[in-house]
Formats: sequence, C-alpha cells, structure tokens
Amino acid sequence: MPHLELLATLEGHQDRVWQASWHPTKTLLATCSGDKTVRLWAPATPTDFTKWVCVDTLKGAHKRTIRSVAWSPSGNEIATASFDATTGIWERDPQIADWECMATLEGHENEIKSVAWSSSGALLATCSRDKSVWIWEVESDNDFECLSVLQEHSQDVKMVAWHPKEEILASASYDDTIKIWKEDEDDWYCADTLHGHASTVWSLDFNAAGDKIVSASDDKTLKIWKQDGGKDGSWTCETTLEGYHDRCIYSVSWSKIHGLMASASGDNTIQIISKDGEAGYRSVAVMQDAHGVHDINGVAWFPTQTHQDWLASVGDDGLVRIWRMVE
Amino acid sequence: MAFSSALVLTDLNDYIAPSQACIKPVEIQKTADPGHQSEIKVDDQGGYYEITQDGGESKLEKAAISLNDCLACSGCVTSAESVLISMQSQEELYGIIKANQLALEQNTPDKYRTIVVSLSPQSRASLAAHYNLSPLQIHKRLTYFFKQLGCHHLVDISFARDLSLVESAREFVERYKSATAATGGSDPIVTNSATPVAGGGTTAASRRRGGAGGLKAKSQEHLPMLASSCPGWVCYAEKTHGEVLPHISNTKSPQQMMGTLVKDYLATKVNTRPNLIYHVAIMPCYDKKLEASRPDFFMQEFDTREVDCVLTTGEVQKMFGEQNVDFNQLLEAPLDTIFTKALLNPSETLYGSAGSSSGGQMEYIMATAARELFGIQLPSDPSQSDQVVVRIGRNADVREYSLETVDGQVLLKFATAYGFRNIQNIVRKIKTNKCQYHYVEVMACPGGCANGGGQLAPPPVETVNAKDWVNHVENIYRSVDGVLPEQNEAIVAIYNEWIGDPSTERSRQLLRTQYHAVTQNLVNPLATKW
Repeated sequence: MPHLELLATLEGHQDRVWQASWHPTKTLLATCSGDKTVRLWAPATPTDFTKWVCVDTLKGAHKRTIRSVAWSPSGNEIATASFDATTGIWERDPQIADWECMATLEGHENEIKSVAWSSSGALLATCSRDKSVWIWEVESDNDFECLSVLQEHSQDVKMVAWHPKEEILASASYDDTIKIWKEDEDDWYCADTLHGHASTVWSLDFNAAGDKIVSASDDKTLKIWKQDGGKDGSWTCETTLEGYHDRCIYSVSWSKIHGLMASASGDNTIQIISKDGEAGYRSVAVMQDAHGVHDINGVAWFPTQTHQDWLASVGDDGLVRIWRMVE
Repeated sequence: MAFSSALVLTDLNDYIAPSQACIKPVEIQKTADPGHQSEIKVDDQGGYYEITQDGGESKLEKAAISLNDCLACSGCVTSAESVLISMQSQEELYGIIKANQLALEQNTPDKYRTIVVSLSPQSRASLAAHYNLSPLQIHKRLTYFFKQLGCHHLVDISFARDLSLVESAREFVERYKSATAATGGSDPIVTNSATPVAGGGTTAASRRRGGAGGLKAKSQEHLPMLASSCPGWVCYAEKTHGEVLPHISNTKSPQQMMGTLVKDYLATKVNTRPNLIYHVAIMPCYDKKLEASRPDFFMQEFDTREVDCVLTTGEVQKMFGEQNVDFNQLLEAPLDTIFTKALLNPSETLYGSAGSSSGGQMEYIMATAARELFGIQLPSDPSQSDQVVVRIGRNADVREYSLETVDGQVLLKFATAYGFRNIQNIVRKIKTNKCQYHYVEVMACPGGCANGGGQLAPPPVETVNAKDWVNHVENIYRSVDGVLPEQNEAIVAIYNEWIGDPSTERSRQLLRTQYHAVTQNLVNPLATKW
C-alpha cells in the first residue's frame, strides 16, 4: 500500500514555518519562518536520513516574517521574501563560512508573499499584498534591475511560479484568478487570465513539461489547467479535483521527476495524487494530522532523482518534516 | 440600535483586517478632561453623536481629508482621491465666471477677478492630434473659446517654462561646483561610484555596509540632481523614498513658475491684488492638481494659491460639450500678447523648447552646463553634437546623453527615466551609491507627458496602436520649434526687471520650493507583530 513514511522532524524554528525549498542539486533544505530567519538543514551523516542538523541560519536582514524562500538554479544564492516589503538576496561567503545578505530589493508597498527564480536564473519574480508582481533581472555585481511592475491583479497576489523552461510566469491571487505573464519587446504583459476557482488561489506549480499547471485554492479544490493549441494558446481547466480536502488547500507541489502531486491543507492532511489513466487523477496516499492540529503551510518535492521520493512539509507548529513516499 | 445592514466588511485580507492604511493620520480634537468617558450613538441616518455623562449629545464631525493631504498614494480607504480631484474642476471655473458677471451687475469691483488660463504645450499637442489641427490653430481656438467664456487671458506655459529651465540649469551648475569642491576637484559622480566603500576591503562585512549609505560623501547629496517638474514623481518620493529628496531640484515646475508670474509679476504690473486673479492651468495629468494645492504654493499674505485650478486636457474637452461648442467650427482669436512664447509679427509662430514632451530639462541643462563648466558649445539639442554619445537603455523611456572628450573621458552623463519601473532603478542606484548620472529627468508616466493621465484618449484600438498614438502626439509637440530662453526677448526682459539677481532671498522665494518627506507615525495596531 503506498504511503508516506516520516523520515525526520526538524526542530529549531521559533515560530510557524512558511515554506520549504530544496537546493537544486544537493541534499540541503532551506526553510523560512515567522521567526525572521531561514534555516538550512542537511542530514547529519550521508547515510542516516533520520537525523538532520541545522547547518546554517540566515538572519538579521529582515524585520518581519520571512514568508518565502527560494534557491537560485545555480544553488549559489538564496532569495528571501519578507513581510517587511523587502526581498533579500543572500550569498555564502566561504571565507567567513557564513551567509551574507548581498542585496535588498525594495519597492513593494507592503508584505511580499512569494519569490521565485526563473529556470535560467536570469530573472526573479516577487509578488505582494500590494496586488503587484515585480520582475527583476539579475545583473553582475549583485545588482538587480527592475524590469517590470505588473499591476493587473485586483487583490493580494499569493504566489508566483516560473515555467520550468521558458521565461513565462504564473501568479496566483486572492482575486480568485491565475495570470500568465510573458515578455513582449520591452515590457511584460498579462498573456492570459485563468478563471474558475471560487476563492483565493493560494499556490500553483507547473508540471515537468510546462504544459500543465496545478493550482490549489481556498475553495478546497485543486485544478489542473492545460494549454490549448501549443505554446501560444490560452489556458483552460482540464480537471477539478474535489473531495481530496475538507478545508483550504494552501500548497501544492508537482514533482518534475515522477509526476506525483502533493497538496497540503488546513484540514491537516497531505494528499499524494497521481495520474489515473488518460485524463484522470486519484489519491494514492494520505497523511492525516501531518503536523498535528496545525495548518500545513507548504510542501515541496525533492527536485532530482537522488531522493525523488522525498517530500518536505512545513507547518504552523514550527516544525519541518521530511517524508518518504513508499510505493 | 440596529446594526446597519449596509455595513459590509470588504477588502479583507488574511492578516490585515482593515483596508490599506491611509498615509495621512486624521487629527482628532481630544478633550483635556482625563476622566472623560464617552458613548457614541449612531442614528438612523448614520450620523454619529457623542453622548456625554450628563446625557447631552453633540454631533461628531466627520473626519475629512482635503486635496492638500492627498498624496495619490493609492492607499485611500474610501477611494476619495477621485472625489478630491473633482474639487478642482471646470465647475469651479464656471463659478468664478458667474461671480464676475454678478460683480459687474452689482458694480462691486473688489469681487471681480481677472481670469488667466495657462495652456501647456502637451495639452495643446493632445488636442491637435485629436482634432487634426496644428498647435497654432488649437492655441488660437482655445484663446477664442476661453475669452468668449469670460476669461481674460490665455497664456502659454512654454513661456514660464523658460524661467524654470534657466533656474534649473543655474541650480545644476551650483550643485556641480559645490560637489566638485567637496571632492577636491574631481568629478563627484565618477569618484564616488568607483569607491563605494571606505577603508578598503572586499570583506563581506564592508561590502555589506558600503552600500547602505553610511559612508556616503557629502558631495553625493547634491548629485545626481533629479527633475522636479513631475508631481507624480515628487509625491511618490515624498511618501516612499524620503532619502532621495535632497537630490530633487528645488526649482519650481513650469506650472508653478507661471503661477508666480501671474500672481506676483502680473499682479504688480496691473496693480491688483493676487487674490483678485484667478489662475487656471490646462495640464496633461491629474497629479498637477495635487501640485497646485501644495501648501508650499499657497500665498499666505494674500490668502490665495499660485495656481487656483488645474484642468486636464480631457476636462477642457468636456467643456466644449458643456458649452455646446463644436470645436471643429470654432473661430480663432489672435494670440495673447502677454506670456506667450511666440512671434506675433509679421505672422504668428509658436515656439517651444528642444527635447521631449516632458519639458526638455535634460537638453537645456546639459547644453548650459557644458558651456559654463567646460566651455563647450552644444546645440540646443545636444544629441546633434558629435561630442555627445546617445544610448537608449533597456527600454525607450531610458535615454542616456554622455558628453565625452575625444579620448573618451566622460564630462557629463545625463539620462531620462520615465515610468515606475525605471524610477525604481534610478532610486535604487542612488541609494546604493551606484548612480552614474549627474542629472536624471525623472517622470512618472512612460512615454513622458505626451502620455499623461489626463490627455485625450487615443482613437479605438482597431484603428491605431496606443504606442503609435503617443508617438504621434509627441511628434506634434516637437513640431513646435525650440527657441532658447536666452533668445526669448520677453523672458529676458521680465527676468531682468522682476528677478534681477537670482541669488537673492527674494528670488529664491519666487523661483524655488522645498519637499517634505511623509513620516508614518500612526501604526495600524492590527498590523503589527508579524
């Protein structure tokens, strides 16, 4: 019977943990918290994955909760998005063996909810309660240039996610829609708006090919969207996954390796969902009370084949849990 | 007391309960009585009453925010901005004209006001594009229209702009000289960006501290100088980036220069009091209304504003309809003889300034600075010179003009930055001491003032591409030949007569202004902690 097995519970954060982000290549996990820090975790020994240690703590740069954390595709930088309306860009200085905040991106008017790097690492996107999505270009010398400020959502923007290959961005908002953003000549524009959810869209993720998007909403459903007619086509809802959760779904992660989806909800469960036949989906595993009575804020699959069966979850209990999907 | 069913919780957010906070704290008169406890009662009509201990009721004043307070910060709880902005509208002008008629009938000359209407060249270009007429025709028709309505003069903002350009250039040269003196003679911008950190080191700690500005040289407070004529930019800087305020030029914008001309110079000339002149300005955007209502532009001793009312191009077009005027059939009146940048004899020709529809500050200041600081003569459009290298930045709203010697040494580096995203980059570079420019023409609207928020709408999208339309308006704007302020005899005469010595205190009061950073000291109690 496929199920989720708990590998390890990581303690250390002093407040609720919001998001988990795996290093693109190494066995290293970054988590961010209401305690205004980011913690980096690694297994204590290369063989025993039940014992993890906190190898680094990134602190001192933000004045409020760090709501989102993301590794750059090269694994050399970490971006942190905070409720203090700034985004921190961190680098590890080997000389002092510590992480330094090399740049602070300002501009948002209030709480930043999410930060994401494009697949090439050349672009960075942030979104905020101020309803805007900002796109930055990474320059040399730790400078970031603002490419565009997109103000088409009518409410708080909860999350941004880049296409796995192209420079195409998707954003999820409190206005119940998802928007797709593309570049045209010298500016970015909203190429498509995906309607369908009945309430806030909290999270979204692309599949490995980038031709499908899964979205998680406060309306207790997940929706799978696909593009009609090739790369420039518009997006439509292929399926709505209902009945998997009884409460708001806060996070969804679509593994780029094996294609399973993991969703985390205010009903305290993690669902593992698989494709079933041509166009169907079904639940293959459920973990009840994954963080006890506490909300689960984020889930993230391990990005490479090395530990493709690993899933990280973070919750309001201040804990980080590493799970293994057992077939 | 029934709970009003009309009370709905809107704009809720997951962590912040009230709507986005208004930047402006509302002042409440509190009684000094320490033991004072009050009860609030709401009646059926929604009026609020305070009930004191002895049972007496007193109606509570509604908290009001005036246009003076509005910073267009888009934080408005009630979206009152649109309401406030309508306080300066053509209705106000109609009211003044009516009052004048009454004053004539009742023979009360001290209630009769001279109405001066100032026309901006950008609004003129927008109307010209829409009605497919030349700027001169527009100008003459508007002269006819407003004089028919009851106004006394239709003057040209381009005229006052010359004053603004001359003073801005003077200010830039002043700043450059004092900044150079502070660095012991070397270029203040090049010196400072090459060494952003003091006390050598590529250690991480110094790298981090270097950018924060704690080690910023004094000279860097003067340069780069940033344009001051865009109120959208000024309001944004005051609200969000108080640290860059010292960089913004203190010279008044063309609109406010005209205000000073009309209410000080003209008032003296025609021997009337400033508050008996009503000054209307026709502008390409709404933010100019906010600029006109700034307390700094209120003449205390005369209880009047330098600019009483700003109408957007769109509002003026509405007036044609309200007055049942077919603009296409409208007659033309001769150009006004005062404050118009034009040749009147033998034939009427309008004149403007070199540069973009945002006012040409970059071109004029660069040409003046090149001459005064380095003895180099540049044409009024410096891009025409071989010594000036023009580079377009990552988008068309960022243009760089670099004055270089034959061996590539940069003498002056100026740039334009229009639009929010480009402003972000300039501000960030200034904050981290990485700005390579001596002067930046900062404007809030992408495409410059030709694309202002109050300009006439382009034709439907099927017929014309929006960007092409803005270029069309820009081209019409530029079709009016530029003439240097120094070559404008009327301006030179007024300058000598009225300003005389620009370095006196009186001149500074007439020609310059100041900025005020908004400090948020009222914290939303529900928004703290996380």
